[in-house]
Amino acid sequence: MTPLALAWRATRQYRARAVLAVVGVAVIGALLFDMLLLSRGLLVSFGRLLSAEGFDIRIVATQGFARIGIPESAALVEAVRRMPGVADTAAIAVEAGDAGVGAAHGHVTLIGRSRASASPWRIVRGADLVDSAPGAGCEAVVDGRFPSQFHADVGGSVRVLGLPGGASALPPIDCRIVGVADFGFSASGERTVAMTMDALQRALGTTHGADAQVILIASAAGADPNAIVRAVGRLRPDVRAYSNAEVVEQFNRNGFAYFRQISTVLSTLTTVFAFLLVATLLTVSVNQRLGEIAALRAVGIARHRIAAMLFWESALLVGGGALAAVPLGAALAVGLDRLLRQMPGLPDGLHFFVFERRALVVHLLVFGVTAAASAAYPAWLAARLPIAETLRREVVG
Amino acid sequence: MIVAVRNASRVFPMAAAPVVALRDVTLSVDAGEYVAITGPSGCGKSTLLHLIGCVDTPTSGTVLFEGRDVAALGESARSRIRLTRIGFVFQRFFLLPMLTAAENIELPQAEAGVAAADRRARTRTLLDYVGLADRADHLPSQLSGGEMQRVAVARALANRPALLVADEPTGELDEATGEHIADVFDRVHADGTAILLVTHNPTLAARASRRLTMKSGAIV
Repeated sequence: MTPLALAWRATRQYRARAVLAVVGVAVIGALLFDMLLLSRGLLVSFGRLLSAEGFDIRIVATQGFARIGIPESAALVEAVRRMPGVADTAAIAVEAGDAGVGAAHGHVTLIGRSRASASPWRIVRGADLVDSAPGAGCEAVVDGRFPSQFHADVGGSVRVLGLPGGASALPPIDCRIVGVADFGFSASGERTVAMTMDALQRALGTTHGADAQVILIASAAGADPNAIVRAVGRLRPDVRAYSNAEVVEQFNRNGFAYFRQISTVLSTLTTVFAFLLVATLLTVSVNQRLGEIAALRAVGIARHRIAAMLFWESALLVGGGALAAVPLGAALAVGLDRLLRQMPGLPDGLHFFVFERRALVVHLLVFGVTAAASAAYPAWLAARLPIAETLRREVVG
Repeated sequence: MIVAVRNASRVFPMAAAPVVALRDVTLSVDAGEYVAITGPSGCGKSTLLHLIGCVDTPTSGTVLFEGRDVAALGESARSRIRLTRIGFVFQRFFLLPMLTAAENIELPQAEAGVAAADRRARTRTLLDYVGLADRADHLPSQLSGGEMQRVAVARALANRPALLVADEPTGELDEATGEHIADVFDRVHADGTAILLVTHNPTLAARASRRLTMKSGAIV
């Protein structure tokens, strides 16, 4: 009978201990798994949001991402479009405004998009904006909650005013709703109306053309985004260009360090708790079975076999708990993510807990080490047991 | 000669004062012998049994098992002797509670590297030998005290030891059940295995071919 088979039988024999250990490790493991998901969740989610737009480089006016217009953005867009390795560009302007249908109206985020073959949003119903000649009728793409809030869907129309709160003296413009889209960076309470840059200029009352605040660039397949970033830097030293990887890295260094530190501290604590729980249970179990172990040694079972049995017992208890922790942690992560995403102003598509295979691997590795560490002392105890003294004590006891 | 104890003493260091459990004991057990050691509690019977069973070593003197000085051997060599040359029977049986009777008997055989088919055949033979052929698949918790001790004897015989050592083998059993165990020992002896047992039970000791009495750590 192998040490594993003996360990399995022992686990079944001492069921209360096994259940206690597995449940304890599962609960602790769920927390650890969640901390691992949290440690990189925002970062991964943010990276996915950026990638989902289909653009991998963005140009802004200054360091940081404040909504400041890029001077002479139209000329810059044209210059970038001609750069080698550039597949597509889209200039984006974001303004606060008002929109309404009939008597219902409210604050909205207005997005203007320059001519581009793709948009930084995902159409879920209807069609995307089509570039048309300046002065042509306005078309709009609205966010998913807009139709139910304003009772206007694809084919209907929305009245857009360039300044929020009816403060604009300009007449509103009417736009035909051509599509409903998922705007990854919009917050859940935020209503969004996207239109062409030309239409946005009319709503804002600007005649010379609003400066874009962000210029998005999609690099061609096989092109190096960093080379394009460097080319933009040479062309316009007064603006900043970032690849998605650089943006993610910048957030990793600044905004997300807090979550990483929290998750590191809590992960360490949960691992220590798991170690203490299993080590205690195994040590108590070994102490209860000293006579049995001394007898096994007396009949000639080698020390390393008994130690191996205890390591396997630990592995079964910790492994069972660690595996149960994954679905438990995943369920907990969904709930916690929902709770945290209620924070105001967060983009709809941003998540705190994101599943990664890496997190699962780290989770299992941590528990593998915990199982070994937890069994070390009980195994040492069993291996170094003075046989004669223990047998004598057992009989006297 | 299977085992020879020469001027062996065993002293246990204690906080208050060292306890001398064995004093200059000399004893030998020949192949096929049946030796019983009796004496009052604390006289050193079990300590002597542990030295002979290679689970302990003397503070002074020597214990030679089949001509090899036990104290000079490493733990793995002593473990190998216990596995293949010595069978242990304990007062409290010490069967593994999660294994069936048959599995308990198979365990030392598996440790000794006996092939699975041979193990099973030997286990069947031993269970039949101790009268428990129909209890092979029972867990220790499903057996009576006498049955557990018979399984323990079968386990001790699993690797065909030269010497069976038993420490108060009837200590936890009633008189009638103790008699059954004594009958099993008689059979084991009759089949040529040497036996060394320590006991308080005069009826069991009376069955031995040689009886020794100990007092205050010495054979008297």
